Amino acid sequence: MASWLLSDSRGYEEILRRFSQMLEDGRHIFDAAANALLGGTDTEIIRADLFATDQRINETEQQIRRLIVVHGSVHGAQSFPSLLVMMSLVKDAERIGDYAKNLFDLATAKPSLGGDEDRSKLVELKDQVSTLLVRGRNIHESQDAEAARAFLSDADRVQDACDALLARFIGLEGENAAARALTLRYFKRVASHVSNVVTALVMPLDKLDFFDEP
Amino acid sequence: MTTGPTLAPVRPPTVGTAAGNVVLRLAYLLLLLFGFLVAIETMSKAIKALGDVGMLGGGDKEELFAGVSNPFAGLALGVLFTVLVQSSSTTTATIVAVVGSGALSVQHAVPMILGANVGTTITNTLVSIGHVRHTRDFRRAFAAATVHDFFNLMMVAVMLPVELATGFLSRSAGWLTGALGESGGAEYKSPLKTSIKAVHNWLQSTVEGVGVEGKALGVTLLVLGILLTFLCLHQVTRNMRRLMAGRIEGAINRTLESSGWIGVLVGVLITVAVQSSSITTSLLVPMCAAGVMRLRNALPVMLGANIGTTVTAMLASLAQDNPDALTIALVHLIFNSIGVVVCMTVAPVRRIPILLARGLARRATRSKLWVVGYVFGVFVITPLVGWFVWRSAG
Repeated sequence: MASWLLSDSRGYEEILRRFSQMLEDGRHIFDAAANALLGGTDTEIIRADLFATDQRINETEQQIRRLIVVHGSVHGAQSFPSLLVMMSLVKDAERIGDYAKNLFDLATAKPSLGGDEDRSKLVELKDQVSTLLVRGRNIHESQDAEAARAFLSDADRVQDACDALLARFIGLEGENAAARALTLRYFKRVASHVSNVVTALVMPLDKLDFFDEP
Repeated sequence: MTTGPTLAPVRPPTVGTAAGNVVLRLAYLLLLLFGFLVAIETMSKAIKALGDVGMLGGGDKEELFAGVSNPFAGLALGVLFTVLVQSSSTTTATIVAVVGSGALSVQHAVPMILGANVGTTITNTLVSIGHVRHTRDFRRAFAAATVHDFFNLMMVAVMLPVELATGFLSRSAGWLTGALGESGGAEYKSPLKTSIKAVHNWLQSTVEGVGVEGKALGVTLLVLGILLTFLCLHQVTRNMRRLMAGRIEGAINRTLESSGWIGVLVGVLITVAVQSSSITTSLLVPMCAAGVMRLRNALPVMLGANIGTTVTAMLASLAQDNPDALTIALVHLIFNSIGVVVCMTVAPVRRIPILLARGLARRATRSKLWVVGYVFGVFVITPLVGWFVWRSAG
């Protein structure tokens, strides 16, 4: 009883800790899948780890939801805005895992990704998205609003680059660019979901996910 | 892109738990507990005074409570009082004060104590009604709230006849009081009791100083005692809930996947900490409603709350010289401990309140008349019938 009385379990800190772990798992699974697609890693080597990580992301999402209900029940109305934000953010973190799995599925089909120039542009974008995932997690941990604004600006540029390349691929004639288009689509979605996570630092609750709209 | 200064609340507003804050809160808690003991002493002395001036009927203090010689009336009175004050702790503390004054015997107080156990569950039943617009949530919330009711009603249905036939609870508690008295040394002059009496005497002389005397003095002190008890317990609960929120949250998180003794322990600790079983059990209702806590995992926490809440009566007995005050407090502890041990060790017994609560919740989701009938039947009509029995006998 004494140790219980003296130790203060901070429920919201635990929620944030697990959420950070979700983001870290998201980055890991994205890197693994994108490397398999663009770098030629044998998909069978990473399959077990990738699915286990995705499973862990899903379980963590459920754990966080349970923690949110307990935290809200104990702390009452004053905690609801933060918890509603967190309910939205865990969904974004979970979707990063889903898109990484989509990339992996694409990699298992061993599709053509065009010539060296296109591939190197995709690799470059992959690196930028991966960097966004790392920065997103760090900014969320540090709660640095200035860094968040800089991040969102960079994330916008990455998404614009995805759109520009996608437009070029769609305009190609006599060449199947479906795999490249899907790759870009997934990259853009991952960048968008990690941006949503970061918007929580600079936008009011009702504007979450709408940071780029006037 | 909008880059306004408004921040979404990623981190919740932090509740101050810095060392200085904790020390202040603990000091405030001790002050409140002392105030609570003074209130019990004041209530007890007021009842004595009212008896001495013949207000309770020909100088016989027991006459005021003559009606509760009918155990059903005593039980109903315990339920009714608890429903009205929304706190079994206030009820049991008041009963301890009344027993301590000599106006009520332990035997007659036992059904009232059992009634307090039943009455306290109305709080979480009312909390569950808040989910009424969402059928699935309401079914789970109502089951979570009423499982505690059914367990307490079941225990009363079994233990009250046993007590009436054998005096098992009052005899065991009486024996324990004797054993504790012998080990404690009968002649020990407690500095706590001395200081409680000193503050009570100051309070009484202050009231007398404004010209209140005789019956009016007794009534004034009684009302002051009840109000102070209620106020102190309310403030203790409020203060401790804030102070212990993080620990409570951590403890509940550990019980989400556990249905055993850990849950009981958590229920005891939280309830002792916040001095309110209603707080403990009401916290579980939204978790069950959301489906993150199962009914079988919530029940042990509620059973622990039954034990934890007995601490209030034990504390109240500290202010009393009459050993019967401790005896009735121990009756509460023994009764609830037996219930917990039986329920936790005999699985079929544990399933009964769960099945009954689920059955009622299913019916309640089909027709809200079940909710109205249940709440009014258990917490209003039955105690009122008992009250009329008490009035007619008194």
